[in-house]
Amino acid sequence: MNNDICFLAEFDGGSPARSALELAAGAAGLAAESGGAAVGLAYGAGAAAGAASLGAAGAARVVVLSDTDGPAISLAAAAAATIGDDAPLAFLAPATPNGRDLAAALMGLLGLPALGPVRAVRIEGGRVRAEQSTLQGTVITVSESMADAPQPVIILALSGTFTPLEGGGGAASVSTAPSSDAGALGAARIVESHPADAAVANLEEAAVIIAGGRGVGSAAGFEPLNELAAVLDGAVGASRAAADAGWVPYQLQIGQTGKVVKPALYVGCGISGAIQHRVGMQTAENVVAINKDPDAPIGEFADLFVVGDLFAIVPELTAEIRRRKGIPS
Amino acid sequence: MKIVVCVKQVPATTAEKRYTADLRLDRAASESVINPLDEYAIEQALRLQEAGAVETVVYLSMGPESAAEALRRALAMGGEEAYQVTDDALAGADQWATARVLAAALGKLAPDVALMGMSSDDARGSLVPGAVAAIRGLPLLSYAAELMLTGSTARIRRLTASGFDVLEAPLPVVASVTDQVGEPRYASLKGIMAARRKSLETWNLADLGLSAHDVHGAALTRVVEVRPPETKAPTERVENLGPAEAASRIADWLAARKLI
Repeated sequence: MNNDICFLAEFDGGSPARSALELAAGAAGLAAESGGAAVGLAYGAGAAAGAASLGAAGAARVVVLSDTDGPAISLAAAAAATIGDDAPLAFLAPATPNGRDLAAALMGLLGLPALGPVRAVRIEGGRVRAEQSTLQGTVITVSESMADAPQPVIILALSGTFTPLEGGGGAASVSTAPSSDAGALGAARIVESHPADAAVANLEEAAVIIAGGRGVGSAAGFEPLNELAAVLDGAVGASRAAADAGWVPYQLQIGQTGKVVKPALYVGCGISGAIQHRVGMQTAENVVAINKDPDAPIGEFADLFVVGDLFAIVPELTAEIRRRKGIPS
Repeated sequence: MKIVVCVKQVPATTAEKRYTADLRLDRAASESVINPLDEYAIEQALRLQEAGAVETVVYLSMGPESAAEALRRALAMGGEEAYQVTDDALAGADQWATARVLAAALGKLAPDVALMGMSSDDARGSLVPGAVAAIRGLPLLSYAAELMLTGSTARIRRLTASGFDVLEAPLPVVASVTDQVGEPRYASLKGIMAARRKSLETWNLADLGLSAHDVHGAALTRVVEVRPPETKAPTERVENLGPAEAASRIADWLAARKLI
């Protein structure tokens, strides 16, 4: 056993995903407290070439699990072989589909304790404690592994739990995971890939999100939201009602079964604020809501609630921000 | 072809929740429903059965005795029979223990597909499908927007960042679904009546060949603190303003927070 903090580093399109940078920073912070090292386990296309660059993000060492895209659960045996003998203190995984599946398989294969999805992690008296928002945000629980449970404790971290380091140290030392048989967990394969015609914004990385709901009324109704997002360098998101209606792609859905986002600014337009949507955006730093229904639930938890017609207010707001920023209309 | 749908009983969103002295949710004291995300797994299984791709739909749940109610509700939606794993030694089970127990029960039921919702509504855990696959040594097809079964192969459609992928694995598999598989049906009165006559069998840990020691006293983790969320500043309301004035107020508010 040692006091290292391992983390999963997903690569996406040849470079580290935002989650990899966040978890590297988180692992570095926790490792400084525990007296261990931050060790990345990298996977995805570009992982081999980019592994050393995670040093600047906080990693002391990086082990490359794979250099190709594919279901990450097939890497569970390789990850188990990498961490197995060393038994680090904690193992951070991103709460993405790949991160969850790989973490779940590790939990099952090695009989490890798992916490999450969490929104804060700290070390108290040498033990890892994680804070979780449960029961649709009505309760905060703090959990830890049992004293006699094996190491590491797996921690599934929501995006935004940690903040990436800026201008950090040098290169991480890089090694390759021991080859291992993926077994049945490697049997699920991607047999077809259908990218969309147009690129879809990555909501999890957006600092500003303009979200539309049922009140937007149509695909065309999203146009004023797009314009507002453009002047704020933001992205457009949606509630499940808007995605179900086909007004926007499902990839833009925020909520329990969509993306969980944590932007600096969230503006909800024509969104009632049902609990399923709320759990996807409740950690936004600033929440503005525009809704013509004065009794919409979002009015209960928004920071600024404007009662009115979004189709009248949003274009005016876009024009006003253009004026203040000196952008020609 | 047999599907076992794993269902979890969870507190209703609207229910008042109480905690026991050792910081576990008092599940008996809270109004309960089928985990809403598991209803999509039920719906997917029943659609496959209606399409003739599946003969038998079986439900499996682990929980207190009162969780039998969730299985009766599932049986009212359709399907043939249900199994409940209940044991005092499982109170406060965490995701690992749950996966261990479900894996053992699935070993007895030996389905072609073990189907689950993508996560639970209460603790939003999402590790059980992957852990069950790892323990059983089966492929995992997760986050399916649609499950398709042909011959000895399972396929799923899964949304990606910009489109969708099709994944494939040889049966038997563990699979999990999202809410894109289609709206769950309501139980009809006829269905509710029929459910009363369907078989619901109860197993304890010993029936699965497990002891309390095998599940580490039901958990490898424990809750050390429960508290209400931070209270936030009250909402600022803006009403009865014209669009231009309302827009100006919003812009002022954003500027004061250095957001523009």
